[in-house]
Amino acid sequence: MSGRAGTRVLALPPKTVLERPVSTLRDIDATLAPAAVWVLGRSREPTAAARIRHAIDAPVIHPPLETGGDALSRRPIGDDGLAFAVARRASALRAGDGIYSASDRNEDESEVDALICDDIATTTRPTALETSLDHAAELAAALPTGRTTTVLTGGLPAGYDERWHVAAETGTVRTVEHDPPRSPDSVAGDCVAVRVRGAGPVDGYGGPNAVVELEFAADGLVSSTAHAANDFGVEAISGIGPKTADRLAEVGVTTQSELLETPVAALADVEGIGPKSARRMHRHATVLETGEPRRVGDASLPGEHWSTPPLCIDIETDGLSPTIIWQIGVYDPSTDTHRAFVERDDPADRASVLQAFCDWLLGVHPNRALLTWNGWRFDYRHLGAFVARHCPAYAAEWESIPKFDLYLWADGDDNALLPGRTNELDVVAAELGYDGAATGLDGARTAAAYQRFMRTGDGSELEWDRHEAYCEDDCRALWHVYERLRDAPQVSAGSSASGAASSSPTAEQASGEQTGLGDF
Amino acid sequence: MGIDTDSDTDVEGGRDGGGDGDGNRNTDDAGTDRSNGRTIGQHDVPITGDELLETFPRVRSRESDDVSVLELPGRDASTVPNAEVLRPELAGPLDDDLYAHQAAALSALSRDENVCVATSTASGKTRIYALQIARHYLNARARSGDADATAYVCYPTKALSRDQERELNDFYDTLGLDISVRVYDGDTERGDTRRQIRETADVIITNFAGVNAYLHDHDRWARFLSACELVVIDESHTYTGVHGMHVAWIVRRLKRVLEYYDADPQFVLTSATIGNPGAHSSSLVGEPVTVIDEDGSPTGPRELVLWNPPPQAREESADERASGSSGDETPDDGGEDAITDRVPATVEAPKLLSHLTYHDAQTLLFTPSRKLAELSVKRASKHRRDRSRYYTNPDRGSAIEPYHAGHSRRNRHGTEHRLKTGLLDGVASTNALELGINVGEMDATVQLGYPGQRQSFWQQLGRAGRGTKRALSVLVAGHRTLDQYVVSNPDYLLETDVEDAVVDTRNDAVFARHLLCAADELALDESDGGAAGFADRDRLERAVEMWRRAGRLAGHLETGVSYTGPPRPQGSVSLYATTGEEYAVELAEDADERHDPEMEPLAEERVLRDFHEGAVRLHEGRQYEVCAVDHTTPRPSVTLRPTDVNYYTRTRTDVTVLDAVSEESREIGPFTLHFGRGRVLVYHGTYDKVAIHGGQKTEQMLPTENPPLSMETQLCWLEVPERVETALVEKYRDVSIPELDGDLAETAHLGYAGGLHAAEHATIGVAPLELMVDKRDLGGLATLSIDSHLATATEDGDTDARENANATPQNIAAAEATVREIASELEHEPASGWFIYDGIDGGLGFSRAIYDDFEAVAARARDLIADCDCGRIDGCPACVMDDQCGNNNRPLHRDAAVDVLDQLLGNAGEEALEAHLPDEEYGGDRRPPLFYA
Repeated sequence: MSGRAGTRVLALPPKTVLERPVSTLRDIDATLAPAAVWVLGRSREPTAAARIRHAIDAPVIHPPLETGGDALSRRPIGDDGLAFAVARRASALRAGDGIYSASDRNEDESEVDALICDDIATTTRPTALETSLDHAAELAAALPTGRTTTVLTGGLPAGYDERWHVAAETGTVRTVEHDPPRSPDSVAGDCVAVRVRGAGPVDGYGGPNAVVELEFAADGLVSSTAHAANDFGVEAISGIGPKTADRLAEVGVTTQSELLETPVAALADVEGIGPKSARRMHRHATVLETGEPRRVGDASLPGEHWSTPPLCIDIETDGLSPTIIWQIGVYDPSTDTHRAFVERDDPADRASVLQAFCDWLLGVHPNRALLTWNGWRFDYRHLGAFVARHCPAYAAEWESIPKFDLYLWADGDDNALLPGRTNELDVVAAELGYDGAATGLDGARTAAAYQRFMRTGDGSELEWDRHEAYCEDDCRALWHVYERLRDAPQVSAGSSASGAASSSPTAEQASGEQTGLGDF
Repeated sequence: MGIDTDSDTDVEGGRDGGGDGDGNRNTDDAGTDRSNGRTIGQHDVPITGDELLETFPRVRSRESDDVSVLELPGRDASTVPNAEVLRPELAGPLDDDLYAHQAAALSALSRDENVCVATSTASGKTRIYALQIARHYLNARARSGDADATAYVCYPTKALSRDQERELNDFYDTLGLDISVRVYDGDTERGDTRRQIRETADVIITNFAGVNAYLHDHDRWARFLSACELVVIDESHTYTGVHGMHVAWIVRRLKRVLEYYDADPQFVLTSATIGNPGAHSSSLVGEPVTVIDEDGSPTGPRELVLWNPPPQAREESADERASGSSGDETPDDGGEDAITDRVPATVEAPKLLSHLTYHDAQTLLFTPSRKLAELSVKRASKHRRDRSRYYTNPDRGSAIEPYHAGHSRRNRHGTEHRLKTGLLDGVASTNALELGINVGEMDATVQLGYPGQRQSFWQQLGRAGRGTKRALSVLVAGHRTLDQYVVSNPDYLLETDVEDAVVDTRNDAVFARHLLCAADELALDESDGGAAGFADRDRLERAVEMWRRAGRLAGHLETGVSYTGPPRPQGSVSLYATTGEEYAVELAEDADERHDPEMEPLAEERVLRDFHEGAVRLHEGRQYEVCAVDHTTPRPSVTLRPTDVNYYTRTRTDVTVLDAVSEESREIGPFTLHFGRGRVLVYHGTYDKVAIHGGQKTEQMLPTENPPLSMETQLCWLEVPERVETALVEKYRDVSIPELDGDLAETAHLGYAGGLHAAEHATIGVAPLELMVDKRDLGGLATLSIDSHLATATEDGDTDARENANATPQNIAAAEATVREIASELEHEPASGWFIYDGIDGGLGFSRAIYDDFEAVAARARDLIADCDCGRIDGCPACVMDDQCGNNNRPLHRDAAVDVLDQLLGNAGEEALEAHLPDEEYGGDRRPPLFYA
């Protein structure tokens, strides 16, 4: 995630702005460095807009408070020529003179990259098995025909990305494309195409991820990432929730560095903290500030004393409810080699990759252990199920292979404090100095690519090397984190404060893989 | 000795005690009832119906028609030798032969059929699946030494699950089989205990809320699911209406996951006697089911006493009347019958409980509420003291306790055990004891009021009757019309079929919700569409497209559709369609900890109704006052303090509709029918303090301060054309209802309004005949001003709900004021008519289905009203009265209802109106904007 190139815009719900301490908002600003902040506005929230203006040194957009003569205002963002049209509300679309999208090649000065309108949302009527686009008629009236306009809305969660084709005359929906980046951008002449992209909070296991980062590149909007607000400010420190944050603020501690400047003894006097928690907070704050991990207690790393290191593995599937494991990547630290088992030919064949992987693993490396990041929630879980089902002959052997989960060891079992705002592997590894391959992929994108292959059967479209490089990158990143933890200084086990889950999966990875899969 | 010690072998319903009858109170041993010197025969209950009539002390001689005693014949056992059906390993250890229905079911199961056993309480239904599990276990063992054959057994309540875990384990001990039966539900300790059960248990007992949640992690259940050969749905008749739909879809999701693990289990359903066991069962499991309903178990003859309480002495009358808290007082024709002068069932039934236990009959009293269960125990004891000259030994048979789901599990277990072992002489219980918890069999049951449904009536009765001995059951009628109708028309109980359980898998809203869960569990693909799949292809594609557009699903059916919404969609399925959180019950900080009520958490609906600030609740014989209610999530709570006052509290209920927005409409002749959405508000806004002794309302209409229960739901409504209304108002303008007070009493619209109200009740009442819906999930509102309940247009022409209407009126007065205000602002004369709404937040498609089928429903309703021979203008429970009516079934007018429906259906033409239309343009009486639920 390092090396952001494009212009960033931050979308924040008013509730988040009003509830979080100003210091947290400032930390969000310092970390994400947005070119503008958009306070989502289905209703007027002047206090929230004022608060964010006070906290953050960037232009603030709050649609209900947009001024200017026209119903639609034009807002340039940053220095790269990015510009939005902002609609105070959907009814304003009718009043305006219409807007022009960037793909409109004339040099009209009202040209914009996207339209911001928080009233745009979908309404689902399960009894009719229908989802409709709110204000489709207003959009049809205001937007140019025959081409696509991007509409950003806080009325839908970040990650929402669908292209709606609406008849210009009537406002009735013709069709909806579910994979806009891959669909040919052809729009009927009598139609308005609206690429609707969400910027609202995403529900996660730990509550809503409400801090939405929109990153724009020269070729248009490329990504949205949802962060949890409690990954910023003092709340990012393990053991500090909103109540403790309030109490800390009462004694003047509102940032991580202020917390570090406060003696442990003083922290321990704050109501509800105590000496053990205070020590742990201090340690975690140190880790976050320095980027250096710490080990807590004397537990050895899984496999640390084995004669050969574990094999680092990572799997790729076709989605969060996988129907196939189509890639298994294995990095062997002892030889510094990587091996990928990939199903390139027949996506209906669930067995071959597993078979080849098991043959190799049990034949060549019968005595090695496996290492994953959060594998008990994803990789091991699905590998176990798939081996039992598709390679039953190996089921018993698979069961007996020693399996380690570095994430579980570090976070779940409280054996280490990790730097990074979240516990996602790429974030932690980057924080620990791992220089990634920057494939531009993530789990969801690689899954979507394979799904297309499954549907079309045309493997030539798929950039196999890129997808293998992505998987390999994760395996190597895992080993990098392992090595850094192996070398990390150890502090005595003084506490086992509940490791407040501070993972914030991105919009695309929101479910399944990360935290909170409690045993129901 | 295990499970089968006497001729009655039902695991579920109640053998005597711990298996060998010791510790049972056993009147046979005594031979003689010392107090009366009666000789008790081997097959008699301690007291007969006639003896009850003779011995019960009363104020004065009673009318002969107040009580009728009906004789219901018994039935001999029909058995089949075990060895004909079972292999020697199973037949050998069993002492008793199988009943014919058990044998028939086991034979069908050995032919690989699914089976629904719909026989009486205590007929040994559990035995059937217990033996089938044993067969599967033995088969698996024969195939290979370590093969598994597992069974998933679902009960409707956690209490029943715990009870049956013991029974089944004991049974397998008797058979000498090492089959481990474990409960796995919300109370099971997390972590290792759960993992160990998943990985080792042969039989897992749970409930459908559990199945719904556990499917998310099916890979953890791989061993259990792969080996699953039997799925049991016990008490399947309880899965009806909304709950039934959810269960039907959970079963389909379970089958989908089982198929993934190559398991193809059989289904066994056990059901109380219902009207449609076959159709209901196959709707639930989505497969053909063989019905076994020829009951081979023996029952003794039963006396059914329909007990209408006697008129009470005049000076008592005013006091006692008001304590008839089981229901509403009845409107009567001209006051001749004066049935409201009778002693209320709430007073009479506890006396009968007290009397029967005095005469050595172990008795179960069923009450309609927890409050009455508690109160009845007190009243039973008071009765002894009040009649101390009759009950010379007041302690005889006086061990009586209350029982209901508000008690902690430990307390309930204690009561169950003492009842089973005969330490208790009587129990006053809510319907918590209606289902198959094993408390042994009673000598007698008393019902405080008619339970509302025949199915429930018979199920409760079945609790009395030890084997082939005589049983005694007393129904004490309350003031409600439904009760009065039943005691004066016993045929209604004896001859008519019991109700149908209704399950509708066509409801798209419920289907769509479960589709999200299914996609989360296993990616959806083309195999899910089609005859054997989850849904037909077209429906599947439409639902997938809907959710993709909403951003909740991603992918294509060709390659797999995954769930992409917020984590654990299973958590958003509300099986009972209650949306709120549960409230913890806490003791006030300054109160003595020894008085901690130890109550289980309360559902939001119950808190809003019964636990407002100032409410006085009776719990285990102790009074508590609610001193605080905290509605804030995530930890809402109710705080109680022990108190000692001479009153209890009773909440009043009102309903209204606001902000309805029409989404579709169509013409039916000159009528207009709409479908749309709106808000239904249920208010428990005020309460009365009622004196414990005498039942007088000491204070009335005190505010509860509780917020209304607000539902955003789907509605359909019918607008009656002005011409029809004008004519019918005129035709029925002389109707009056003496007891009715308030604005409407004086109005010319009363008769017509009664017609709308009656037509509303009837259309809801017959909906299940035409559509697969349960009428308890519907609500209605008849109104003289439909328009007052609609969202009004805003100035700029938006169809949004009015801005100030977004604030929910916090009490019924405010709601009425809102309705009146809207009425006064209307620029046109409003239309009259009635609403029908889904009584579920979010709606469930019922009113939509009624909208589509309105003519058929209306035709049924019209015939129901017109053909009813009750002969009453205001109808009877069989036609237009509804025991859930929020307005005490007033006003109701059958003839006016038939006239409205005839106009709607085109049965009557213009000429029927002509006679009544005023000659000139009619200035009209001012129309009150009134409405009735």
